[in-house]
Amino acid sequence: MRRLALRLGRRLLGGLVMIWLVSTFTFFIVHALPGDPVQVQYETLLARGVPPDQAQHQVSVMYGFVPHTSVWHQYGDYIFGLVHGDLGQSISYTGVGVGHIVLAAAPWTVVLVLTGIMASFLVGVSLGVLAAVRRSSRIGDLLSVSGSLLHGIPQFVLALLLLYIFSTQLAIMPYGAPYDASYSPGLNWPFMQSVISHAILPVAAYALSSYGGWLLTMKSSVISVLGDDFILAAELRGLRGITVMRYVARNAILPLFTILALSIGFMFGGSVFIESIFDYQGLGQMLLSSISARDYPLMAGAFLLITAAVIVANILAELVYTVIDPRVRRQA
Amino acid sequence: MSTTVDPVVAAVGRRTPKHHFWHGLRVVMLRRPSRIVGAGICALFAFLAVFGPHLYPANLPIDPTAIFQGPSSQHWLGTDFEGTDVLALLVTGTRYVLEAAAFASLFTVVIGTTVGLVAGYQRGLSDSSLMKVTDFVLTVPGFPLLIVLSTVWDFGAPASMGLVLGITGWGGLARAVRSQTLSLRERGFIEAARGLDLPAAHIVFRELLPNVAPYIAMSLLLTFTGFVYAEVGLFFLGVVPFTVNNWGVMLNLAVQNGALSATSALSYLLAPLVAILLLTLGVVLVLDAFDELFNPRLREG
Amino acid sequence: MVLLDHAAVSQDAAVRVRGLSVVYRTDVGERAAVRSVDLDLSPGQITGIVGESGSGKSTLALALLNAVPKPGRIAAGSIEVGDLGEITGLSGRRLRHLRGGEIGYVFQASQNSLNPLKTIGKQLLDLGRSHGVDDLRGMVRDAGELAGRMGLDGKRVLDSYQHELSGGMRQRVGIMFALVLNARVLVLDEPTTALDMLSQVAVLDIVREIHRERGLATVIITHDMGVVAEMADRIAVMYGGRLVEVGPAVEVLRDPRHPYTRALIRAIPRLVGDPEAASALPGRPPDLVTLPQQGCVFRERCPLALPICATLDPAMTHDGMRGVACHAADGTPSSSEDEDRNEPIQAGGEKTS
Repeated sequence: MRRLALRLGRRLLGGLVMIWLVSTFTFFIVHALPGDPVQVQYETLLARGVPPDQAQHQVSVMYGFVPHTSVWHQYGDYIFGLVHGDLGQSISYTGVGVGHIVLAAAPWTVVLVLTGIMASFLVGVSLGVLAAVRRSSRIGDLLSVSGSLLHGIPQFVLALLLLYIFSTQLAIMPYGAPYDASYSPGLNWPFMQSVISHAILPVAAYALSSYGGWLLTMKSSVISVLGDDFILAAELRGLRGITVMRYVARNAILPLFTILALSIGFMFGGSVFIESIFDYQGLGQMLLSSISARDYPLMAGAFLLITAAVIVANILAELVYTVIDPRVRRQA
Repeated sequence: MSTTVDPVVAAVGRRTPKHHFWHGLRVVMLRRPSRIVGAGICALFAFLAVFGPHLYPANLPIDPTAIFQGPSSQHWLGTDFEGTDVLALLVTGTRYVLEAAAFASLFTVVIGTTVGLVAGYQRGLSDSSLMKVTDFVLTVPGFPLLIVLSTVWDFGAPASMGLVLGITGWGGLARAVRSQTLSLRERGFIEAARGLDLPAAHIVFRELLPNVAPYIAMSLLLTFTGFVYAEVGLFFLGVVPFTVNNWGVMLNLAVQNGALSATSALSYLLAPLVAILLLTLGVVLVLDAFDELFNPRLREG
Repeated sequence: MVLLDHAAVSQDAAVRVRGLSVVYRTDVGERAAVRSVDLDLSPGQITGIVGESGSGKSTLALALLNAVPKPGRIAAGSIEVGDLGEITGLSGRRLRHLRGGEIGYVFQASQNSLNPLKTIGKQLLDLGRSHGVDDLRGMVRDAGELAGRMGLDGKRVLDSYQHELSGGMRQRVGIMFALVLNARVLVLDEPTTALDMLSQVAVLDIVREIHRERGLATVIITHDMGVVAEMADRIAVMYGGRLVEVGPAVEVLRDPRHPYTRALIRAIPRLVGDPEAASALPGRPPDLVTLPQQGCVFRERCPLALPICATLDPAMTHDGMRGVACHAADGTPSSSEDEDRNEPIQAGGEKTS
């Protein structure tokens, strides 16, 4: 148990280092932007007749650092603000903190992505077992083909097709926004219903785009485990078929956890497409709109939060893995 | 070719000797007709990439009287929102897409293979620090990163697009090459070579590289399609300035100009999507052949 | 008709194999991995089955559990096991009872015969549940005692995962799993391969003691003539899927009759004496495809090969407790009209049709 805590602590520390690296990266990106937006903002304010010291103050509130000082000084201010939970202020949403905006958008993205991953993981893995066991029959072929097919289609193509079929042509699914504005948010049924119906297509897009990968990986993993000595041994000891299958499934699922980490990053990255295609207001959409609005503090914040979500999800996935595999659990 | 089915012998399998590569390739390709189709598709796209832009005038004609038309004998895939022939757009747009993906693959191979080989060969400190960097590259979500980068980097030219995709996309290959190198090490490969006092460069490039090369080739094919998706996606999102026509620009303009709701524009909307899927199909089918060529074990069963 | 010298013993044989043939489907048609094998395994007796890899000894062992892997199948012959009777057609519940309930199979130590994700104890419970054991607590207690009997800390082993055990410990756990349901036949596949010398000695001692205590019918499958010499009461030598010599261990070792047996015994390295005297058999053992389809399977490596060996597969001839299948043994080529060789093949024809 102590080892587990130690391991978790190390992972969290690693995550913090990553967040630090990513925020440093965005800081320098904003700095390297053509035309130095900080300077431009400052000059715009001056042109509006704002006194220099006040303009400087406003700009520093927005970006989290003061123009006209050294890069390192600005960097220090920025990181200091970050540590205190201050992500600066949005330019396009005047006067609103970036932290406030991205934290409001984050749950929509996180819930959709995780629901999509979980749905596709469960379905893909179960069907992967079936595809492996029945690999020489028609149903096995069919499953494998469905997996390869969906695996080969890019996420945004799937999302566009779903949108085109169900929302534009058949018009049986709503489009845009996490829910209809006519309902008041809260724990009431019409609101929940609206949330769910708006989430179905995006979740389906996430799920369908990763289902094939799970199915194919699980299939090959099961086939490889079926060839392992201990499975033959279990059969030669007269274990029940269902017990042998459980041995197979649990062992076969392990290698999938290393892929889960990659998949999580990919899915959160995909939110840029899916939220843009379905006009769904989450982090991905926010990242995109911040760029067209030249709202760089918001861009940095959204990117940081997407990365943070990926890191947290990865740590969770690794925890599950650790619980399943005694070789990891009982060692370091 | 005779095969034994003694379980022991079958498990070891028979490797196709190197000088039999072309012969093996022929056998493997002919085993399933689908593989020839796949190779044909890939060849077609390669042809379009090289010669596509020469098949049409530099500025494609527009025709305001014939916008969003369905397929006809004159316009096989219909027309776009300006009345331009969709097939012409598709054909001339192939070069950018494939060129950028090829550049990206090149950068990925160079970075990914070097990192993977060095990490697997050296182990110890350089391994763990290289893998930390790799994990970092793998964890940072790629698309958002590309979008952020698009604010400071001009992706317009295929080479610069390829460079950015390559720099953000080598993590997976590095991991795969490293684990392959480690498994070669487990088979006593490196120790044997070291025992012969071979220089490190010789071991890495003459002994290890040829053994991981098939692996690199295969994962590269998949990465290639991944790069195609990524660049098309970036253009589709509109975060990259449109310098030349390509499939992503087509998709973006199609959606922007209301092709989703215009039924007659279906072929316009679908054309770039189908082109991507067709390319993927070709690559997957060729990959299937490679898989069998490099993993003879799959031939049984 | 089938005149078996050891008929007296075989009345109460735990396993009775008659005319067994196992074939594998290959690119060049079906080939026999095991051909026309007769063998009895009796309680209280350790039988050593010796042969090089590819001799069919492992296939024979798997056939005893009706577990010939695809694309192989039992093409002819019968295998009767204890109260279960004929087992070649078994499936479902009765087949599972055969495996584990009647015959305990122990894998070689280099093979991971345990689920890496579950403790030994939990896998033991799985075994008990699969075989409908009512008193699981009692079974676990028995297993602990059995483990203790083999020099293991029973309680600790049951709480361990496979990766926490050494090769020798895994081997003992394998024996525990094979015997905890009170199987009466114990099959050990290469029990000493991949073990260090001390563990080898320890495992063999344990097998001998448990065998004696429980009155088991034990089969040791090995390529190591030394192990057989040390352990077996009876030796069965296999080559190219054929049983080429059987007999009491002491007699076979002192006076081998088949040229292949002689070669195997000569190849045993000795600690004392002239190391030059230990010589390897020239040539390679046949695989399924290179196996001669006609005549004696051993003739290409045989120093005594006669013209008749190229055309006629020698039948097993019996002399007291001993049997040998060789034209050149004792000078008199045996007649080919031996029914006990032809019968099973006909039986096989009926089976497949």
